[in-house]
Amino acid sequence: MAPAIEGMVPAIESSEGNNKMNKGYQYPSWKKKLRGLVVDNEELCRIVEKGIMGLCGVETQAVETGEAAMELIASGATFDIIVIDRFLPSMTGPETARKMREMGVESKIIGLFALYFEGDEEEFVAAGVDDFKEKPLSPNWLVPILRELDN
Amino acid sequence: MERNHLPRHLVLQRQSLFDQGLLDEQFIQLEELQDDANPNFVEEVVTSYYQNTSTLIVIIEQALGTSPLDFNKLDGYMYQLKGSSSSFGAKKVKADCTLFREYCKAGNVEGCMRTFQQLKKEYASLKRKLEAYFQLARQARVTGTASRPK
Repeated sequence: MAPAIEGMVPAIESSEGNNKMNKGYQYPSWKKKLRGLVVDNEELCRIVEKGIMGLCGVETQAVETGEAAMELIASGATFDIIVIDRFLPSMTGPETARKMREMGVESKIIGLFALYFEGDEEEFVAAGVDDFKEKPLSPNWLVPILRELDN
Repeated sequence: MERNHLPRHLVLQRQSLFDQGLLDEQFIQLEELQDDANPNFVEEVVTSYYQNTSTLIVIIEQALGTSPLDFNKLDGYMYQLKGSSSSFGAKKVKADCTLFREYCKAGNVEGCMRTFQQLKKEYASLKRKLEAYFQLARQARVTGTASRPK
């Protein structure tokens, strides 16, 4: 059965005695140790986005606010990919992205939104994001980006 | 457990969730990501979803009881609900959120009320169906392990 997710290899079946368990689709082995950051105030979204990035082989941290993200960066943390939700409690998603770029962050930054508001895309793009995407963050969409980052 | 090894009744039950338009591709992609280390990722996500959003549903209902409606606030609540619902592929609930939002933008009170009642039904129905599916899937995993020949 062909993998549903581009870039994934088919499932490997491993046998341990009678427990023949499917290992699931495996993400490609990344050459680099990829690091990710999720900035999303919505708890469930944060759990899923972090979970997806992790299962795709990205060592991921998740924070609720733009301020928390900036603290991490100011402390020296570096990331290959950062996903930021449009709506954050005080510092907005675009403001957070802009501050990151001002601090010299060169990571791939993706702006995410659940509902589209007029001007959102322009604001995110002006802030310096690399892409702007409607939720959900999907593995199918993410893996090719990770492959690019890994090259 | 790979879908190829699922008992037929479970395959059919799973397929009906997609045929009825309740779930979309995101659900499939999340299932594909599951492995031995994270065999229950999707079920955990769904459980967290219903825990996290139950209060939000009550808050929206209360907000719809006020007059005049605060459409900006409702928009914000829908942003949260739609984001969460889309995260695991709750297609119908997500669509109801979008429709509700359109009514908000148009200032259509009756449309908001009607759509929210529809949304609540879909939300509850999906919960029942997914709980049943996950329970059967867990039973199938146990049965499959126990009955596998040496």
